[in-house]
Amino acid sequence: MSDIALTKEKYPPGDFGVWIIIYIELITFAMLFLGYAFSRRGDVELFNQSQLMLNQTSGFINTIILITSSYFVAKAVQSVTNMTQENYEEFNKKASKWLIFALMCGASFLVIKIFEFSHIFGEGINLSTNKFFMFYLLLTGFHFMHVMLGSIILFNIFQKTRRFGYTPEDTRGIESGASYWHMVDLLWIVLFPLIYIIR
Amino acid sequence: MKKTLEIIWIVLIALTIFAYLLGYLKYIDSLLVSVLLISTFIKGALVIEHFMGLKNVQSKYRFIPTIWLTFVLSAIAVAYYL
Repeated sequence: MSDIALTKEKYPPGDFGVWIIIYIELITFAMLFLGYAFSRRGDVELFNQSQLMLNQTSGFINTIILITSSYFVAKAVQSVTNMTQENYEEFNKKASKWLIFALMCGASFLVIKIFEFSHIFGEGINLSTNKFFMFYLLLTGFHFMHVMLGSIILFNIFQKTRRFGYTPEDTRGIESGASYWHMVDLLWIVLFPLIYIIR
Repeated sequence: MKKTLEIIWIVLIALTIFAYLLGYLKYIDSLLVSVLLISTFIKGALVIEHFMGLKNVQSKYRFIPTIWLTFVLSAIAVAYYL
C-alpha cells in the first residue's frame, strides 16, 4: 500500500448521517435535472423561448455568491481543523469571521432569488404556465429552501464558534454543516448552466 | 501556507464567467454544449474534492458524488444530443 493510501481518512468529514442526507438530496435533484433535460426534448422551442425570459445575470451573480460562500465555509473548516488546545479560542474566532462572510453570501443569494421570483410571478407565471416554468419553479424553489436551511445551519455553527465551542477533539458539527452547504453549492453548479444557459 | 482554496475559488469563478458569456449566444451548438458540460464537471469535481474535503478520504466515499456528477451531466448530454 502506498503512503498516500495510508494517509487517507476512513470516513468523509462530519457525521455520517449528514452524508446519508446528502446522497438522498443528490438523487432527488438528479431526477429533477433529468426530468427537465428529457422533457425539453419534447418541445425544444418552448423551452428555449421560455428560458430567454429568465434573468441570466441574476443566475450568474447567484452562482458567484454561492461559490464564494463555499470558499468562506471551507476556510472556516480549515481554521478549526488546524487548531490545537493552546490556540482553539483564536481559531474559533477566525472561523466565526469566515462564517459571517458565508452567511452574508447566503442572505444575498436569498434576496436576489426573491427578487427573481417576484419578477416571474409578477409576469403572471406559475407552475401551470408551461413545462419549462414548472421545472424552473420546482428546481429553483426546492433549491431556495435548501439555501434557507443551510443558512440556519451555518448560523448555528457561527454561534458555536462565538462561544469557542469547537475544540481539536470536536469539529464534527462544523464539518457536517459545511458538507451540507457545499452540496447546496454543487447542486447550483449543475442547475445554473442547465436552466439558465444551455439552449 | 498553501493557497489551494484560493486557487480553486479563482478557477471556479473563471469557469462561471465563461458559462455566463456563453449564455449571451442566441444558440449554443453541440460543441459548445459539450464544452459547457465539461467545464461544469470540472467545477463540480473541484467542489467535491477540495471544498467538501473528499480528496483525502477513501475512494469509495470520494467517488459517490463524482459518479453522481458524471451520471447527471452525461444524461443531460444524451438528452441534448439524441
